[in-house]
Amino acid sequence: MISFVLVILILIWFAGVLFRIYRQAHFYQIEEYQSSRYIRWLFEKRNRWLPARPVVVWFVGTSFSVMLAEAPGSIFPGVIGIIAAIVAVWPAKRGEVKKPFRRTQRVSRILGTAFVFTSILALLVGLVNFLLLNDQMPALRFGFAGAAGLLSFILAPLILILSNIVMQPVEAVSRRRFLNNARRVLHDVQPTVIGITGSYGKTSTKVYLAQILSGRYRTLPTPKSYNTLMGVSMVINDTLAYDYSIEYFIVEMGAYIPGEIAEICDLTHPHIAVIIDVGPQHLERFGSIEQTAIAKYELIQALPPNGVGVFNWDSPHVREMYERGYPQTRIAVSRQVSPDDVPEDGPRFIASDIQQTLDGLTFTVTDTATRETELFITTLLGEHTVTNILLATAVAIHEKMSLQEVARMVRLLQPAESRLVRQVTAQGITIINDAYSANPVGAANALRVLGLHRGGKRLLITPGIVELGDLMEAENRKLGEVAAQHVTDVILVGQEQTQPIQSGLVNAGFPKERIIVVDLLAESITWYQQHLKPGDAVLFLNDLPDTYHQ
Amino acid sequence: MSSNRKTVVGVIFGGRSVEHDVSVVTGNQVMRAFDTDRYEVVPIYIDRNGKWFTGKPLMELKNFNDEVTGLPGVEDAILSPSINHHGLIINPIAGRFSKSAIKRLDVVFPAVHGTHGEDGTLQGLLELADIPYVGCGVMASAIANDKIMTKAVLQQSGIPVVDSVHFSRIAWRDDPDAIIKQLEASLTYPMFIKPATTGSSIGIGYAPDETLLRASIDIATHFDRNILVEGAVADSVEINCAVMGNDDDIRASVLEQPVSWQDFLTYEEKYLRGNEGMKSADRIIPAPLTDELTEQIRQTAIDSFKAIDGRGTARVDLLVKPDENVFYVNEINTMPGSLAFYLWQEEGLSSAETVEQLVQLAQDAHAIKRQSTYNYQTNLIAQTAARGLKGAKGRKSVTN
Repeated sequence: MISFVLVILILIWFAGVLFRIYRQAHFYQIEEYQSSRYIRWLFEKRNRWLPARPVVVWFVGTSFSVMLAEAPGSIFPGVIGIIAAIVAVWPAKRGEVKKPFRRTQRVSRILGTAFVFTSILALLVGLVNFLLLNDQMPALRFGFAGAAGLLSFILAPLILILSNIVMQPVEAVSRRRFLNNARRVLHDVQPTVIGITGSYGKTSTKVYLAQILSGRYRTLPTPKSYNTLMGVSMVINDTLAYDYSIEYFIVEMGAYIPGEIAEICDLTHPHIAVIIDVGPQHLERFGSIEQTAIAKYELIQALPPNGVGVFNWDSPHVREMYERGYPQTRIAVSRQVSPDDVPEDGPRFIASDIQQTLDGLTFTVTDTATRETELFITTLLGEHTVTNILLATAVAIHEKMSLQEVARMVRLLQPAESRLVRQVTAQGITIINDAYSANPVGAANALRVLGLHRGGKRLLITPGIVELGDLMEAENRKLGEVAAQHVTDVILVGQEQTQPIQSGLVNAGFPKERIIVVDLLAESITWYQQHLKPGDAVLFLNDLPDTYHQ
Repeated sequence: MSSNRKTVVGVIFGGRSVEHDVSVVTGNQVMRAFDTDRYEVVPIYIDRNGKWFTGKPLMELKNFNDEVTGLPGVEDAILSPSINHHGLIINPIAGRFSKSAIKRLDVVFPAVHGTHGEDGTLQGLLELADIPYVGCGVMASAIANDKIMTKAVLQQSGIPVVDSVHFSRIAWRDDPDAIIKQLEASLTYPMFIKPATTGSSIGIGYAPDETLLRASIDIATHFDRNILVEGAVADSVEINCAVMGNDDDIRASVLEQPVSWQDFLTYEEKYLRGNEGMKSADRIIPAPLTDELTEQIRQTAIDSFKAIDGRGTARVDLLVKPDENVFYVNEINTMPGSLAFYLWQEEGLSSAETVEQLVQLAQDAHAIKRQSTYNYQTNLIAQTAARGLKGAKGRKSVTN
C-alpha cells in the first residue's frame, strides 16, 4: 500500500514538473533559447523562479504529515502528500502572452530531452526510496519523495537549459545546414540586398521602402519583424527560394548583442544599408547607447566599397557614422535642416513644411543634388514617419526611380501592421493603434498625434515602455509628462511597472482621478467600451510586451 | 540594379521557322558581343522542331550540326511563364536520378528571326514571364511581321508606301481571274508578289507579265494565307536604316544600300563596285544619297518605328528614287539580321556597346511597364461566392 501511494506521489510530481517545463519552454523560446537572457527574465520576478503556491502547499502538507505520523504504517501522510502534490503542481492561471508558442522542431527536441532527464530524475527518486529507504518510516519516505518533487519542480527551468545544452551539437548541425541552404538560394536568385537597422522604425521603414520600390521593381521585404539570423534565413528558404523574380530583398536587421548584425550580413551581403536611429531601445540587452551604435555600424562595415549607405542626419549617432566616410557613396536625409541652408557634405534629401493632421502628413521633399522638389502626401501618421519615408526615398532615387515616381508611390503607402494606424469604429470612436513600437521617440510622436484629436476625450492605454534598462524609469516618467499635455484620460496596464508614468503624469499636473490602473489589457478594453462616446479617441501604445506578464 | 554582380542575359536563337539558320548566326554574334566581365550569357537554343535547350556548347557556332542538342552539357530547358521563376527551368521533367534547376535571367535577348520569334509570340511569352527583353513588344512585332498590317498602319500615319493590293489564299483559289483583273486595274507591271508574313525573300516573286504573275501568286500561297502584290517602283534603290531607342528618344543610323537585289532593282553592279563608300560586295555604307534626302529618310525611319509603337531596335527598309527625291517605306524588320551591328559601327558603337545599349533600353522599357498597375484587388470573388454562382450568371442571362 505504501509503495503504491509512493509511486502515485512520484508520478504526480513528475507530471507537474513536465508541465512546468512545457510552459517554461514558451518563454525560453521567446528569449530565443539564450539561457542568459532566459535566466535574467526568470529572476526578474520572484514568482517566476520560485512560485509561491507549491512551496507553501509543500510546507503545510509536510507539517500535517509530521503531526499525524504517530501511528506507524499509517498511510495518512501519504494521502496528505498526494493532495498537497496535486494542489502544488496544478497549473497556475496563465497571464497574457503576445507571442504564441511555436511548435518548432527545435523546441520538440529540447522538450524530448527534458522528458528523458525528468524521467531519469523520477526513476532515481523511486530507486532511492525503494532500495535505500525501504526500512525507514513511511513519513520520511513520503517526505523525501515530496521534497525531491518540489526541488525538481523549482529546478524545472534548469532541466530545460540542460536539455538545450545537451542538444547543442544537433542544433549546430541543423543550423549549419539551414544557413548553407539560404546561402545557396541567395546565390541562385541574386537579389540586391538592402539592410535596414536602427533602434526603432526598422519595420516601418522596411515596409515603406518595399512599397515605394515596388513601383518599379520586384521586392521582397522580410515579413513582420523577422530580424534575426535564423528569421532571415527562414524567409530566404521559405519564400525567396520560390521566387526568382525578386530584384530587391529588403532585410530588417535587429541586434540584441554585438555581432548579430555582422552575422546576418555575412549571410546576405547587403549592397545598400539604411541606418535609422540609435536610441535606448533594448538597452538592457546592450548595456549602453555607445554599444548599440557599434552594433548598428556593423551593417555599414559589411558593405562592399561600391555599396551605398543611407543615414538619418538628424540622429547624432547616425550622423557620426555618415561622417566616418565609408562607403564612398553615402546619402543622408533630414527633416530638421532647412533646404535653403544645407551644410557642406550635409543631407541630400530634406523634408520641410511638415504639416500633420489626423488625416495624415504633407511635406515637401527637396533633392539638394538636383534642386528638384516634390510635395509628398500620405495618410500615415507620426513625425518620425517623415524620416522613414525620406530614408526609403533616398534608396529608391539611388536605384533610378524619379522623385516624382516616389511621390506617387508615397500617396499609396499603407502603414505597417499595428504601427500608428488610425481607424474609426462603427460607433464613431477613433482608435489609434501603435501597439508594436515601443520606443520613446515613437511614443512621443504617437501622443502628439492623439493630441491632434479635437472635440472629445483623448484616452491613452499603455503598459509603458519596457526594455530600456537603466533608463526605463526616467523614460517612462518623461512619457507620463508628455502624455499629460496631450491626453484627457489614462489607463495604465500593470500596477508596478507603470509607477513612473503615474508620477510623471502627476508631476505635470495631470488630475489623479483621471488615471485608472488595471492589471490586464482586457479590463482596459472593457472600460473604454463602457466609457467612450462617439467623437472620442483612444491610443493603444505598446499594448502588450512579449514576456512581461506572468 | 546597382548590384555589383554580372547581369545575366539569356540569348534565344534558332527557332521553328525557315529562318532558323540565320537566327543561329545572329544569336552567335550577339552572344560574342557581350563583355563577359559584366555580363553572363546564357544560350537558349530552339531547334527546328521547336524544342528548347541550354548549355555552354551552344555558344560555339562550330558545334551546330545535327547532333548539337545531344552534346554533353546541353540540357532541356523551358522559359517559364510563371512569374516566380523569372527565367529558365533546366531539365524540367526531372526523373529519379536527375534534378530540375532554375536559372534566373535578368534580361532576355531574342535573336530569333521570322515566325515564332519576330512575330510577337516569343515576346508574348516574355511578357507573361515579366522578364525585360530586347527589341519590340508584342504588338509592334506582330504588326511589323505582317506586310499588309504594316502598310495599313504606316499609311494611317501619313508615311509614304508603295501602291498595293492584298487578298487571301481562299479568294485566289476561288476566283483567280477576278483577282488578276483587280490587280491589273490597280497596278502596272512589273509587280512584286509577297506572302504577308514570311521574312527574308522566301516566297517573294517578281512578275513582268500575267503568266509570271499567276505562277508567282501560286508559289506565294504556299507560304501564307494572305498575299500582297505591289507595283514595282521604277529606277529605285533599296535603302535600309536602323533605328534604336524607346518612346521619344529614338535615333537613326547611317543608311545602307544593299545590292544583292540588283536583278530586281535594275541597278548596275558595275557601278556599285566602283563606289568608294562600299564596305563589302553586297552593301554600300553610307548610301550614296544627298544629305537632304538622307536626313528625310532617317526621320521617316524614326516616324515609321513610332507608328508601329516600336521600342528597342528595328531596321526600316525603304525604296528610294534618288533622282526624284521620292521614297517609300517597304517594311520594318524588328529583328534584323546581325541586329544591324555594321550600321551602328558606323555610328561609333562597337557591337559590345550596341548590345549593352539594347539591354539598357529593354530594362528601361520594362521599368516603364511596371508603372502600370496590374494587381487590383476587388472583392468580386468573395461577393460572388457569397451570393452563389447563380448571382454572377444571372447578370449574363439578362444580356443573352
